[in-house]
Formats: sequence, structure tokens, C-alpha cells
Amino acid sequence: MTVARYDLLRRALWLGRVLRSRLLQPALMLVTLVVFTLAIVTGLFGTPAGSRNFGIVFVWIVWWALLIVVLVPLFGRVWCMMCPIPAPGEWLQRRAIVRRNPGRPRTLRKRWPRRLKNMWLQNIGFLGVALFSGVILTRPSVSAVVLLAFPLIALGLSLLYENRVFCRYVCPVGGFIGLYAMMAPLELRTRDCSTCRLHRTKDCVAGNAQGYGCPWMVYPGNLDRNTYCGMCMECFKTCPKDNITLNLRPFGADLFVSKSHRLDEAYKAFIMLGCALLYSAVFLGPWGWLKSWASLESLPNWLLYAAGLLAIVLALIPGLFRLCAALSDRLAGHRAGSRFVTYAYTLVPLGLAAWIAFSLGFVFVNGSYALSVISDPFGWGWNLFGTAHMPWTPFAPQLLSFLQVGVLTGGLLFAASMTVRFAGDGMVDARRALVAGLPVIAFQLVMTLAFLWLYLG
Amino acid sequence: MRRLEGIAIALVLSVLVGLPVATLGYQYVVRPAQSEHRVIDIIAYAPEAGGFQPTVIRLTAGETVTLRFHAADVVHGVAIGPGLGIDLGHIDPGEVREITYTFDQPGLFTYYCTTWCSKDHWRMRGVIEVVDPASPDSLPLPERDPIIDALAAEGIDIDTYPDGGPTHGGAHPARVRVSTGLTPHVARGETALTGLTVPDILASLEWRRAHTPLEALELLAQENADADRARLADAVAGLWLSHTPGQPAAGTVASYNANCAACHGQTGAGDGPAAGQTAEEPAAFRPDSMLPMRSDVLYAKIQRGGMGTDMPNFGTLFTPEETWALVDYLWWLTFTDDP
Ligand code: SF4
Ligand code: SF4
Repeated sequence: MTVARYDLLRRALWLGRVLRSRLLQPALMLVTLVVFTLAIVTGLFGTPAGSRNFGIVFVWIVWWALLIVVLVPLFGRVWCMMCPIPAPGEWLQRRAIVRRNPGRPRTLRKRWPRRLKNMWLQNIGFLGVALFSGVILTRPSVSAVVLLAFPLIALGLSLLYENRVFCRYVCPVGGFIGLYAMMAPLELRTRDCSTCRLHRTKDCVAGNAQGYGCPWMVYPGNLDRNTYCGMCMECFKTCPKDNITLNLRPFGADLFVSKSHRLDEAYKAFIMLGCALLYSAVFLGPWGWLKSWASLESLPNWLLYAAGLLAIVLALIPGLFRLCAALSDRLAGHRAGSRFVTYAYTLVPLGLAAWIAFSLGFVFVNGSYALSVISDPFGWGWNLFGTAHMPWTPFAPQLLSFLQVGVLTGGLLFAASMTVRFAGDGMVDARRALVAGLPVIAFQLVMTLAFLWLYLG
Repeated sequence: MRRLEGIAIALVLSVLVGLPVATLGYQYVVRPAQSEHRVIDIIAYAPEAGGFQPTVIRLTAGETVTLRFHAADVVHGVAIGPGLGIDLGHIDPGEVREITYTFDQPGLFTYYCTTWCSKDHWRMRGVIEVVDPASPDSLPLPERDPIIDALAAEGIDIDTYPDGGPTHGGAHPARVRVSTGLTPHVARGETALTGLTVPDILASLEWRRAHTPLEALELLAQENADADRARLADAVAGLWLSHTPGQPAAGTVASYNANCAACHGQTGAGDGPAAGQTAEEPAAFRPDSMLPMRSDVLYAKIQRGGMGTDMPNFGTLFTPEETWALVDYLWWLTFTDDP
């Protein structure tokens, strides 16, 4: 299916120049590296009170909200262009920060195991962080250790493997960014794939004097989804045919590329949706005991919480969904194998909407902490910009509910329309497609109502 | 490109190394060096998580220090006593309150939490040892309290006076409760006293502090044989607070609310929010239990704490005057119970 696209670079020539500059990525990374380093130092040495510690406030409130509310839904993987986590490893591997070093990358050139060339490690990593989120998100020192571990693992992997193996297969954040980047109305694509096919040297893969071969191990000529392109913009520099561009396109266009639908990605969608539900219950719900279970106050209670979380996210939600998908298949008269995995992609808009609503909730409520920690990042009584004593003020509580309802409803409508489209695949009768989609839509509706209840109830 | 690369490397190193060195160096080297006196950071955790850290601070008499209190986990409050009048008020988690103070005399002082921060809140204390610069190695000794010494000399065990206390559930013999049926009220005291013959001894504050209202009642009854007992009890209530200005001082009420009310209840009914958690039932300041009680014993219990009852010692926090003011407030609560 073809969708309308608007080539941003046809008009904005300056944008092309910016994207081709070797300075762009390192400059952005330098900025995020400052914030990231400060987050680690404040986490390790600053106040243990999370709400007054720069590390907690800037990573888990400011960065998180920026990522999930703005960057991913609008710009896809653009965060990965500026992410500081893989930067030290990448720079060491290249022995260069800005310039294109023509020498061989410094790495042992091991081969990444075939069986791990998927999202499963990222799924496991995300669940690992989720299980300990009660402490990671609230205790600055724990948070700092986790933040420090990320670039160290990335660095370790970059010594063994060429390219961004960490980003592509390991980073727990990268997994869901990739999944939800499919929703973004921005994409990096080739202008004309026949140009790529006829281009013998494939500089975007092999690299040339202008830039490195795709560090994400993607062949831009084949790109049809945002999921695994880290928007590093190397191919802009290497492509001698000026065939790479940025397009505006409808939201969620990638979700319909059904030949790419995979179980690991489907599970990512379940995990993200389930975790959004559980996080909302733990952090925003009325159950104090659940919060204390999650925050590891007693090991047996935490084990119960962990078992519950894993059961809900890995078994209950996918199980129920499978049931609904089977019903939809039956109603559609679809016999050629279950379309469970395909239907799971309808949970991408739903899950993203839930995460946006959840994040809006805490950024509206706790965002004002950012003003005080910017003046006193360690909670040591500094007052760098005179804002250290800004009182905690929730922002526009009435507006919040409207936004949350709007976003969740939007997510549900998008998911439902996708469902009808998937259900009606190869069907002429639109009404029959709608009826066939109903079981899956019912699942989406129940989930949305659960979120609404948690946020507004 | 080579120059750019050099700049980039320098920038990256300055972030990775310079930023931590600069921030930590500013806090731990530059700031203390800029300050004219010592700055001591004290982190306040709930007692279960470690309480104040550090718990002991040693200073030299005449030394000016800045004490910076950081609340780490929950809302705490900080005051320093006895007798310094330092109350920093509430400190929200992550907030810092500081005081710069010169400790002139050698002695022992206590910084303590003034907010009910956890079940073990009252354990949350730290000590400031102010030593004499002439003999920096000898610790200032806590002063003996003449009231407590006098009680000991009299052979009174404050822990069993009048008769121990009940454990929760009441299996233990109840605290002495004279069921007099009397509910004396201080407001009726003056009227009740008019026309009564009052033995001179009752006018002595010293005597009243070392005797019980019941004893005073008996003395009054001997002199005024036909007076109604309820009227005599009202007269005793009036006498018991006759040395006070009528209404309790705001500072005393605040101190009671901050330190005592959690167990003893805001009105002294023994029903504070933490009453159920103590080793023994907190005392109620009501006529039945207070009529057989002596002020000096109350004073001693506040100053020294109650052995095995979970009643903390406040001698390290309150001066004798502040303690007497609290004792008077307990009588005021007792004698204003009847509406
Ligand atoms: S995949 Fe992870 S580490 Fe890599 S750039 Fe994206 S967020 Fe950063
Ligand atoms: S496709 Fe291009 S922009 Fe995307 S990761 Fe590869 S080189 Fe970077």
C-alpha cells in the first residue's frame, strides 16, 4: 500500500546541509553527555531524596517525558541520534569523534549470535529494569548505577563487536523506541529504491571517505520501517547519489508493513502495554501496599510483585489477546494460520497512547521539581539560578485529564481502525471486517477503560 | 578537521572528567574554604534507616559552626536544645536548613527531630559535644538534676510511682486510679477557694511540687469539714495552677504537641496516634490518674524518661524551666477536662 509522503529535503536545502555535517551528531551527543554525566554524579553523590536530585528528576521526569511524549511520537528514533550511552564506545571504536577515521575500527570483530538478532534481549532488559523500577526510579544512587552500567555495557560490546550492537540488540530503551518509532510521522528513506539497487558500491553500507557504513547494520535501500534505523545520518553523508531523505508521512504508516511483523516485536508491544498498566497502578494508583511491594521493602513481597508483573505481562495479556485474535480470525473466516502477531501491532498506538497519558500525568504533577533541581542539582543547598526554593506546584490539573482522555481515545481509535483493516485483509465487505475485528477491539477497549479508570478514577 | 577533532576530544574529556571534579571540588573544597567557619552536613534519615548522620558532633567552646541539616527520606524537623531556643522547623525531603551558631560554653546539646517522622521518631537524636578548649580531651559531663536526686534520696522510684503502668491489653494491674468521681476544674478554682480556710503550706510551690493533689485535698478537708468535696477539689485545681499565668504559653503547647501528643494525645487523654505502639499504655492526664501524682515525679519522668515504657528522656532537649512548664501544662490538661 502506498501512502502520501512529503520529502522535507526538497524544499529545506539547509536541512540537508545540517544533516550531512559531521558535527551534527557529536554536538548533540555532547549536550546530552553533559546532562547524563551530571545525572550520574548527582545520583552517586547528591541527596538521596529523589525529588530533589537532578539525576532522578532529569532522567525519569524530564528526559522520559520528552522522549515518550514528544521525540518518539513525532520524530521516531531521533533520540538515538543524540543518545550519549553508546557514544564513548563508538568513539573509541572509531578512534574519532567528529572526523571520519579511514582506519579499521578497533574491535575484536566477533560475530553477534544469529539467535540474538532480534528484540528478545531488549525485551528481557526492559522487564529487568521494570521489575526494579520501584527503586531505580526513586533512589538516586541506584538510578546512577544503572545509568552508569548502560554505557559500560555498550563500551564492552563495542570492544567485541563492530557497530552499534548494543543499540540494535541490547539497549532496553532502544527496543521500545524502535517499536513506537513506527508511529512517527517522520521517516528516513531512500528517494528511489531502484537507484540503490543499481548502485554497485553501496556506500551507505560499506562507508566511504564522507562517512561510516551504517552503524545500525541497516541497508537504507531496503528501509520500509523506522524500527531499526538509529537516525545517525551517516547515510546522508555517504550516499553519493543524494538518494537519502527525510519524509513526512501519516502517523503509524510502518505498522502496516505486514511482511515485517515478528513475534519478538509483538511481545515488545505486550510488554510495553502491560508495563504501562502496572506502572500506572503502582505509581498513580491508590494502592500504597503495591507501591511498597514494588519498592523492594521486603523481599517476599517484591517476589510476589515480580511474579505478578511477569505473569500479567508475559502470559495474561498475550493470552487474552491471543484468544481475542483467534475469535477475530474465526469471524473473518481466516484459516491460514493465526494473525495474532499481526493484530499485536494494533497495540502499538494503544500502548504509546497509554505511555503518553501516564507520562503526562507525572510530568504535570512533578515537573516543577525540574526548576528547583536545576539550581541545586545535588540537593546540597546550592542556588545556581535562584530557583532552588521554587515550591512544588502541579501544573494545570484540569487540563491534564482532558489531555489524557484525548490521547487514550486517539490511541484506541487508531488501534480499532488498524484492527478493522487487518481483519478485512482480502475482504470486500467493510461491515464483515468490522464485525470480525470486534473481539480484538473489545480487548483494546477494556485496556483503554482500565487506563482511564486509573488516571481519572 | 584535525582541529575540530582536538576540540571535540577536549570537550568530551572536560565533560567526563571536568564536570565531576568541578562539582565535587566546589562542594567539598571550595565552599568549605570560602566559609569563615566549619560547615557540618547532617543528613536526616528516619530512625529505622539510620537517623541523623553523623550522630555525634564535637566542637570547641567559642567556635562558630554552620550546621546544615538535609532531610533525606521523609519530612523531618530539627531543633537543638536544651535551652538554645533553636528550632529550624520542618524540612521537606531533599531540602536543606542551616543554622550558623556560636557555642560559647562547654556542654552537651542535642539535635532532635521535631516531626513525627516514623514509629521510632523519638529515637532520632544526635549529640553536640562542646568541649573546653583548655582541656579538649575531657568530655563535658552531663549535670546532675537536683530534683531527680532529691526523689532518689526520698526513696521514690519514679518508674513505679504511683504503681507502675498497665501493659497493653490490661493484664497488668492498673495504674493507681482513685475513683474519686471528682472532676476538678481550674476555672472554678477561685470561686471555690473564697471562704475556705487554706493551710499556709498549700501556698508553697515547693510543697505542692512534692505532694499530690489528693494530699492537698485531705489537708483542705481537715480545715473545712463541712465543705463539699467537689468544691474542695476545684479549690485544689485552682491552687495547683496558682503560680501560672492562667493560660498556658504558646511555646509550651507547641512543645507538648510536637513531643508528647503523639502518645499522650493532644488533649492528654492518652490516645495519641502512636499510643497503640508503645510498650506500655501512655498515661492519660485525667483526674483519676493525676490526683495521686506528684509534680516532681512528672518532672523526673519527662527529664529522664520511663524505664521500659517507651517514654523517651527529654532531659537532653529541655531545660528544667521548660520541663516545669510542661508539667504545669499537664496539670492544666487535667484540670480543664470537665467542660
Ligand atoms: S538504542 Fe539505546 S543506546 Fe542506542 S542510541 Fe538508542 S537509546 Fe541510545
Ligand atoms: S540507515 Fe542511515 S541514518 Fe539509519 S542508522 Fe543507518 S546510516 Fe544511520
